[in-house]
Amino acid sequence: MRSASAPVRTNRRLLTLLAAASGATLLLAGCTAAAPEAASTPTAGGTLVYASGDAEPDCLDPHVGGNYPQALVAGQFLESLVSLDEDGAIIPWLATTWTASDDGLTWDFTLRDDVTFTDGTPLNAEAVKVNVEHLKNPDTQSSTGYLALGKVESVEVVDDTTARFHLSTPDSALLESLAQPWVAIESPAGIARGMDENCLAPIGTGPFVVEEWVQQDHLTLARNDDYTSAPADAAHDGAPYLEGIEWRFIPDSASRYAALQSGEVDVIDNAQPDTIAQATKNGSLVEIDAPRPGASNRIELNSSRAPFDDVRVREAFIRAADVNDGIDSLFFGTATRSYSVLSSVEPLGYSDEKLFTTDLDAANSLLDDAGWTTRDSDGYRTKDGKRLTLRFPVSTNQSIPAEQSLFEQIQATAKEAGFEVVISPLDISGWYGALFSDSYELVSAPYTKIGPDVLRTLYDSAGITPAPSGYFANLAQLNDPELDELLRSAASTSDTEERASLYEQAQKIILGGFYALPLYDQQNHFLLSTSVKGARAMPTVSTPTFADAWLSE
Amino acid sequence: MGSAVRRTLGRLAGALFVLWAVATLTFFAIHLVPGDPAQAILGGPGSQASQEALDRVRADYGLDQPLLVQYFAMLGRLVTGNLGDSYALRMPVAELIGGQLAGTVVLALLALLVAWLLAIGLALWSTAPGRVSRAVAQGVELTAASLPQFWLATVLIAVFSTALGWLPAVSTGTPTGLVLPVITLAVPLAGFLAQLMREHLLIALEQPFALSARARGESATGIRLRHALRHAALPGINLSGWAVGYLISGAVVVETIFARPGLGRTLLRAVELRDVPVVLGVVLLVALVYVVMTFVTDALSRVADPRLRQEARP
Amino acid sequence: MSELEVRSTVTVEAAARPLPRVGTVLAGLFVVFLAVAVIWPGLIAPYGPDAIAPRDAFQPPSAAHWFGTDESGRDIYSRVIWGTATSLLIGVTATAIGLSLGLLLGAIGGLGGRALDFAVGRVNEVLFAFPGLLLALLVIVLYGPGPVTATIAVGLSTAPGYARIIQGELRGIRSSGFVEAARVLGHSPSRIIRRHILPNALAPIAVLATLGVGQAIVWASALSYLGLGAQPPAPEWGAMLSAGRTYITTAWWMTVFPGLMIVLTTIATTVLGRAITSRRGGVR
Repeated sequence: MRSASAPVRTNRRLLTLLAAASGATLLLAGCTAAAPEAASTPTAGGTLVYASGDAEPDCLDPHVGGNYPQALVAGQFLESLVSLDEDGAIIPWLATTWTASDDGLTWDFTLRDDVTFTDGTPLNAEAVKVNVEHLKNPDTQSSTGYLALGKVESVEVVDDTTARFHLSTPDSALLESLAQPWVAIESPAGIARGMDENCLAPIGTGPFVVEEWVQQDHLTLARNDDYTSAPADAAHDGAPYLEGIEWRFIPDSASRYAALQSGEVDVIDNAQPDTIAQATKNGSLVEIDAPRPGASNRIELNSSRAPFDDVRVREAFIRAADVNDGIDSLFFGTATRSYSVLSSVEPLGYSDEKLFTTDLDAANSLLDDAGWTTRDSDGYRTKDGKRLTLRFPVSTNQSIPAEQSLFEQIQATAKEAGFEVVISPLDISGWYGALFSDSYELVSAPYTKIGPDVLRTLYDSAGITPAPSGYFANLAQLNDPELDELLRSAASTSDTEERASLYEQAQKIILGGFYALPLYDQQNHFLLSTSVKGARAMPTVSTPTFADAWLSE
Repeated sequence: MGSAVRRTLGRLAGALFVLWAVATLTFFAIHLVPGDPAQAILGGPGSQASQEALDRVRADYGLDQPLLVQYFAMLGRLVTGNLGDSYALRMPVAELIGGQLAGTVVLALLALLVAWLLAIGLALWSTAPGRVSRAVAQGVELTAASLPQFWLATVLIAVFSTALGWLPAVSTGTPTGLVLPVITLAVPLAGFLAQLMREHLLIALEQPFALSARARGESATGIRLRHALRHAALPGINLSGWAVGYLISGAVVVETIFARPGLGRTLLRAVELRDVPVVLGVVLLVALVYVVMTFVTDALSRVADPRLRQEARP
Repeated sequence: MSELEVRSTVTVEAAARPLPRVGTVLAGLFVVFLAVAVIWPGLIAPYGPDAIAPRDAFQPPSAAHWFGTDESGRDIYSRVIWGTATSLLIGVTATAIGLSLGLLLGAIGGLGGRALDFAVGRVNEVLFAFPGLLLALLVIVLYGPGPVTATIAVGLSTAPGYARIIQGELRGIRSSGFVEAARVLGHSPSRIIRRHILPNALAPIAVLATLGVGQAIVWASALSYLGLGAQPPAPEWGAMLSAGRTYITTAWWMTVFPGLMIVLTTIATTVLGRAITSRRGGVR
């Protein structure tokens, strides 16, 4: 059991200091340059081979749909209006400055005047307007970007370098939303080619250009020799050192790691905990740990009906589920237990460890109080002849094996209190199916978004009403008008302190109501061959960038 | 002559029936599967499709039509040779499959060849005189036949790529990259084929022709190679049609582990995403290959076994 | 003489040479061990199958844990023992499903008239033309993953293979000399089938069955690798194998022991199956 002394919520910088202080070779901070020898001189040339374990995107344009696999690769050739620095502050990228009107309904963005897309089209206010319209057009089939721009009504071209955003209601999350790769700015001429063609090779302003896409094999990215638009926190300006990137898709984690070990690839993502521990211990590989922003990885408790409509049963489950030992042994020190529903990189995250201490006796008496007093022959509790069963659909695409094992351990410890947890591993379509049909009591659904506004997506009661599609993001089915009010006020206030306080109150309601069992940050580990220097993860949604990377030797 | 034409026409009709039945079964089976294709098209971890987008997708792909209408639309397309467009990849299925075909064909053919060679070797070894070698060979056969491919692949990678560094762990597009995938696919198949062949080899060796060849003074090895093997090859040839299915199923696992582009991986992903046109396309292709293979193996077994020729002449 | 003719036309051969007697005895002992593991696992397994101990995770084989421990600190030896019932059940049931379907189709085709033979041939071809894994995938996405669906899926996807072999077998026997002779002697068709055809077909079917059990377990394990097999925390061998694969570089024992059980079971059932058929059939 972890001791209850040290505050576990730390920010990224603190983690960096801790890592440095403990002399660990692995870099815990996602946003610093990976190579300690960053001082050595970069050499130009060479092709970097990147192996992704994420699904191969169906479409390379992150405006279409909008998921993490798209963001991973799109970051190499598309750029956004703004970015984040290591502390989560907004910094300039394609936009140099921005101002909001007093009522928060009008935002003016001044664009760089020296940037062109790789097809020669100039970056200007008209291009921004076209991109926003593209995202808001139902034909684009945008999901993530569409939601991010939900409050943007239109973009007005004031002059060539000034784009004016008109909002329907004030949006305190606008800049964070615009920093996301799903609303990156693409060449209007590229968009005009139509979706089929644009999906194959979107045109942006980024350090690399899509040269070729061999489906289910690899993507060839070539250097953009005219690259000038590095974000404000980049290590160097101008064209990347690398000649290109071969972006491969290797779904099997064991093969991916074997390929990295044997030197066939230079960088892998979705590294497994045991291999990270092994590789960093003997120093043969370098790790970048870049937890994703937005929500932490947590198990949501479906509070809409029995048994979890009773807060005592929710608390009993959380008290019964012992996860700390499991996280220690399964993740080999690569993951830290979280007590917050927000990622540890979110500055406004609030955590409360004492709500989540394991206590089997407390769990048992809570269940007795709630009327689950009898046990059947298998040792599971029953009430009115019904067994205390919790259905837990698990997405095999989204949960790595270590996480699935952790769920099994939760299953075993919850059994001691009399819960029957039924884990069903499902493919992605089947998993969505289980959620849409509301046939779950427990579910773990990652959600990546910049900023605490993700809480509104996940816990506002508006997220319970399924769209006719069946999709809803409020999987805990938390329905609390007070919470809704807090989240909505927080999303529209322009006062930073008030925003922070509103989000803290909101999180207290979520944590105190035992609607979710936080586990750890959304894990996002990269392993790099020691010859790769200068690579880093973007502080936005923790995708890797190779604009400053080079290959030594 | 007339009977040959009739037989060919009959075969053709049979082949068309098989293709139609396969298409129909697949179509309805996939539609019974829970999960919304429109959501799958737009979905993916962490994205939330808007209703407009879903409606748009449903209309685009005709998913809002009644199932029977969709079925006949599909049949209509198939008759004209149009496999439709992939839901997920937004490209013609024919083009998608065409791009993935070569990898799987090369992999499957090489694996079949290697499996045959291994099986013949094993069958000869296990029928060689000597109880010990026979028992060992049978043990090897059984072990080979009961190795799960995904496990074999992992062990091969751990030994030959990670520990020895001789061969690449994942497909590199070079011939060396093919070695481990081919072995993975071939070894269990070889174990299975060898078991069938050995039994037939043993029987053939006791046939009168083998005895008379022995009497003529041919060496035991010579008889096994020249005469008996032909008989032993028969069940193997007959099973080659079955092997197509085996190889495609195996390709799903092997292509995933070795990160090779190919039909197996395409099929798995298409099933996961409920990408009906792609599943149909791959299944129809496999059915077609199977039909062609049966035709060829029938002809081959007629060549290998004269008795079948007589049987066919009533 | 007629015996020989029968043998030469069959597709899968029944008549195995009896293996060395030592092998048969060893195989017998192993099957007894399996039987104990099925009937009374607690007798030979020191721990429960689901007893987690995260602090003891990834222990190599030792006196306390003969086969080591897995990622949740569970004793692999105990899980292998407890998993015998599930694994064998999957193997045996799947084979039974596949064989019964195959027998049905094969018998209709092999013993019926020309039209039935043709019809079954087509049905078989259609089933055969499906990649087995696709059939399995479809069944599983339809009815959800789990040991039952995995079993049905594997059974279904092996049925056409059995049907084809059995049909060929029956056709061969039917056209053989002694059946011909019985017909000439005026025996009724049902008597011919009962007295002559079925007894001769049983031996090869028994061999198929013993081979099939191991194959079915292997098949089910491939489904587990693709995330579609037995549900956690069921200690099924295939699921254990696929779970251990993730840790192959750091914990080899997690895959080697369940893998060994699959291979040994296949060998033992096959060896025994052959010994039994060669005695019963009295072949040579």
